[in-house]
Amino acid sequence: MNSGWRRRAARIGALAAMLCGLLGLVLLRLILLVSVDGAELVKLARVEHTSALKLAAVRGAIVDRSGRPLALSAQAQSVYARSAALLGRTTSAERARLARALGASPARVEALLRRGAPFVWLGRQLEPAKAAQVGKLGLAGVGLVTEYRRFYPEGALAGSVVGLAGLDGQGLSGVELRYDATVRGAPVKLRLYHDALGHQMLYAPVASDQAVVGARLELTLDLSLQALAERELRDEVAASGARAASAVVLDPFSGELLVLANVSAQADPQDGRLHDGAIQDAFEPGSTIKGILAAIALADGVVRPQTRIFCEQGKFRVDKAVIHDEGRHGWLELGDILEVSSNIGAAKIALALGARRYYDGLVAFGFGHKSGIDLPGEASGLLGGLRQWRRVGLATRGFGQGLAVTPLQLAVAYAAVANGGAIVRPYVVKAAYDSAGSAIFRQTPQVLRRAISPAVAHTVNTLLRRTVAGQHGTAHLAQVADFTVAGKTGTAQMVDFRARRYLKGRSVASFVGFLPAEAPRLVVLVVLYDVGPGHFGGLVAAPVFREIAAAALRGLNVAAPGPRFVEASLLGAVSEGAGQQASSAAGIEAADLSARSLAPAAADGRAPDFAGLSLRRALVLARRLGVTVSASGHGYVVRQEPLPGTSLSGHSLALFLAPDGRDGRPASRPSKTVGRANRARRRASG
Amino acid sequence: MAAWFDKRTLYHFDWPLLAGVLALTALGIMTLLSAAYAGRQGWVEPVVVRQLLWAALGTVLLLGAALSDYRKLAAAAYPFYGLALALLAAVAVGGREMGGSRRWLSLGVFRLEPSELMKLALVVVLARYFSREPPAGGWRGRHLLVPALLIAPAAALVMKQPDLGTALVLLMAGATVIFGGGLRLRTGLGIVLSVALSMPLAWHELKPYQRARLESFVNPQADPLRSGYHLIQSEIAIGAGGALGKGFLKGTQARLNFLPERRTDFIFSVFAEEFGFFGATLLLAVYAAMVWRGLAVARRARERFGALLALGFTSIILWQVVINVGMASGLLPVVGIPLPFVSYGGTSLVAMMFGVGLIISVNIRRYLF
Repeated sequence: MNSGWRRRAARIGALAAMLCGLLGLVLLRLILLVSVDGAELVKLARVEHTSALKLAAVRGAIVDRSGRPLALSAQAQSVYARSAALLGRTTSAERARLARALGASPARVEALLRRGAPFVWLGRQLEPAKAAQVGKLGLAGVGLVTEYRRFYPEGALAGSVVGLAGLDGQGLSGVELRYDATVRGAPVKLRLYHDALGHQMLYAPVASDQAVVGARLELTLDLSLQALAERELRDEVAASGARAASAVVLDPFSGELLVLANVSAQADPQDGRLHDGAIQDAFEPGSTIKGILAAIALADGVVRPQTRIFCEQGKFRVDKAVIHDEGRHGWLELGDILEVSSNIGAAKIALALGARRYYDGLVAFGFGHKSGIDLPGEASGLLGGLRQWRRVGLATRGFGQGLAVTPLQLAVAYAAVANGGAIVRPYVVKAAYDSAGSAIFRQTPQVLRRAISPAVAHTVNTLLRRTVAGQHGTAHLAQVADFTVAGKTGTAQMVDFRARRYLKGRSVASFVGFLPAEAPRLVVLVVLYDVGPGHFGGLVAAPVFREIAAAALRGLNVAAPGPRFVEASLLGAVSEGAGQQASSAAGIEAADLSARSLAPAAADGRAPDFAGLSLRRALVLARRLGVTVSASGHGYVVRQEPLPGTSLSGHSLALFLAPDGRDGRPASRPSKTVGRANRARRRASG
Repeated sequence: MAAWFDKRTLYHFDWPLLAGVLALTALGIMTLLSAAYAGRQGWVEPVVVRQLLWAALGTVLLLGAALSDYRKLAAAAYPFYGLALALLAAVAVGGREMGGSRRWLSLGVFRLEPSELMKLALVVVLARYFSREPPAGGWRGRHLLVPALLIAPAAALVMKQPDLGTALVLLMAGATVIFGGGLRLRTGLGIVLSVALSMPLAWHELKPYQRARLESFVNPQADPLRSGYHLIQSEIAIGAGGALGKGFLKGTQARLNFLPERRTDFIFSVFAEEFGFFGATLLLAVYAAMVWRGLAVARRARERFGALLALGFTSIILWQVVINVGMASGLLPVVGIPLPFVSYGGTSLVAMMFGVGLIISVNIRRYLF
């Protein structure tokens, strides 16, 4: 017994030791788990147990340059159903009542519920009254959630620029898409526990970030002007039978777009919000390219303003093709070619330039690649591979056939002519502001590169005025009262891409120009697509240009350089100044000035002879005539456009001055009598 | 035994053991509340209510066993074992299958888990068998024939359910009683060696899921969403609990349903997540104290049957704790086994409490005759 007890005690002691050992092992393992692996396991747990839920913030407003809203968001209720619960716990009569409250047919609601999806939207972003009615029914399996609905208070106005945001507050097109991240803001981020099956525990968020309300975007667009442009385009589309039309109004120095309008003959249920023809559609520009061709050729030096080109009397054969002009022309200078819009002249200039130089020039002007506007889906246009720029291809490209440009590209190229040669990046969003009203970002004007020198730009500027003001100009209808317009018409053939040929009798009519020509403030472009025969750019696009341009100048408070408010005082001052000079010539000149019969000039609209006058005196005379003057050079007037005795209908006058008062160009154009008169006067003043 | 109730009964009643059992049971119900908590306010899960009822029944049985004479059990040992074996056989034939294994007998309002009864019965019957004085030098191989015949069918039936954990506990508890009953050391060594050598053979006898568990024990990340899932989630719970735990009802691992079998086999992980390393250590300390106490009772018992009874029941507690916690912490492969007094399961709780009652009874009787 005693030995047995002792043995038992020993064995139990051994078991006790084993107990200590085993528990020690377990304890050690626990210590390891908590201390060594602890941090990693805690992280694993957090990753495993929580997930993020995002609730969209309210989308920011989009407003025009003066703060008028184009897009707003407001709370709206959406109705959803949990199909199984709704079908299982309500009668068909109740569901029919639900359908009526939603304004849908009971059969449609029933079909939606029986499609097999566990979750069904019955109505998104309903009118408050409807939502309230649904809520009052209190049916099982039906729920209401608050969402933000996007409103476009101006309807279709500027729809293609503003674009569209989807039901879930996501940008789909236009500014809504391009600036989606800015307008959308940062959603409320909730960190929630979720269980092993992924069910989120909504009642107890672990952490939440405050939502950042979407930014308010301020556009460069001027809504009144945009509205006017769209109205004018719509009227013209109806009148001319065009399929669609676009208009662009651009500040040539900053690149701000005041108007970017697209109008279609067919009604679009999306209000044209998904497509922006002015930047996304390319067309063959036709004659409007000639202004750019002139700039490239002048910059290159292949022609000078006075170079005369023979225009083949209206018919010019290049290889197998024959190029025609409207009318028969003989020897024309560059300005004449632009004025009468001679295809043959343009073709010859292009041929003289050569493919490489013309192509490079067009690329420098921004054709063939995107302008960089802050809108999605911009088209690059088509220049075609250089291989296509052989004889005929090059000749036709001279007058804008065989290459495709977007309206915006054309406007930007003309902006370079207007601003002295710089290619600016166009933009539609001026700034973005946070909810506190402080700017998140401001767009700064950007000059991308220089296309031509200021001198060349100025020359082209002067030449382009003849399209509107010249006797044979193609766009007299583009004349804006009190202002000088420089621009170019275009009437281009349309390509049938499927048949790979031009469509008979259908064309794209356009006018692009800038004003006031002396100190350009605006570039305005009007394009009418697919107009019938006889609808030339100068006839259908130019009047629209005039209306838009006139309204834009009024809106910008651009002063007309007319005589009305300077006449008396300035004339007096000049007279005094002339008197103080007390030279022998002064008296003669004063007499000469007064001797000129200004009244008849104003009455019969013919230009007086400015030759030999100093700039100051020329300006005084011009003001009294109500004529805007653009001058180049210094010294005394040696040349003028329009010529003395010709029509002054354009209300603008280009004067060329030289220090010695001697015209350097070969005497050609001025009529002999005028020339003689000039010489006589010079002798008198000298 | 003049008076059935003796003043000395209360005097020698092992209060710490009872306190340990009640404390563990209370902790178990608390943890169960957390494991079953579904986030609904003012809602008490039915499992908690059931466990409370079982605990009440267990306490009554514990007191009953403690106050009665354990020696009466010696006579009933074989019938008791026979009954348990018959119930196990009944389970194999008409048992209720849950979660892929057949362990329960449906008895109307509650389900009985006969394998838990078998733990008691096997200890009682082995204690009865080895209550004789061993021959000089200890029990030899031939003396082990009857115990082997007692253990084998029980373990085999449980294994077939399949319930590897309980079968393992039956074997370990049986071995402990045999060892404590005076097995010759050389014989014991031989048995251990032969078991070790036959391990590769046993591999073929394992179910595919059991093999997968052993494989995933070696490398849990091999299949983290299936066989390795239990272990990974359990380790995350223990590790995420840290030193002081996340606090009562705040264990996300369990509450969010990531931890599998969290009411039964992995309840320790739930506890460790909410009460941390210190809580877990405290829990283990309570177990250690109880086992220590149980071994002391076995050591001091007046006669062999009582000593082996106490030793057997104590060893059941010990082995279950070691296997369960070792499994939850990744020290041992995953085998399903309840944590005594803490895991959900009525039969287990009642049987364990009854067993502790017997240990207390052994302690009391030491002085009564």
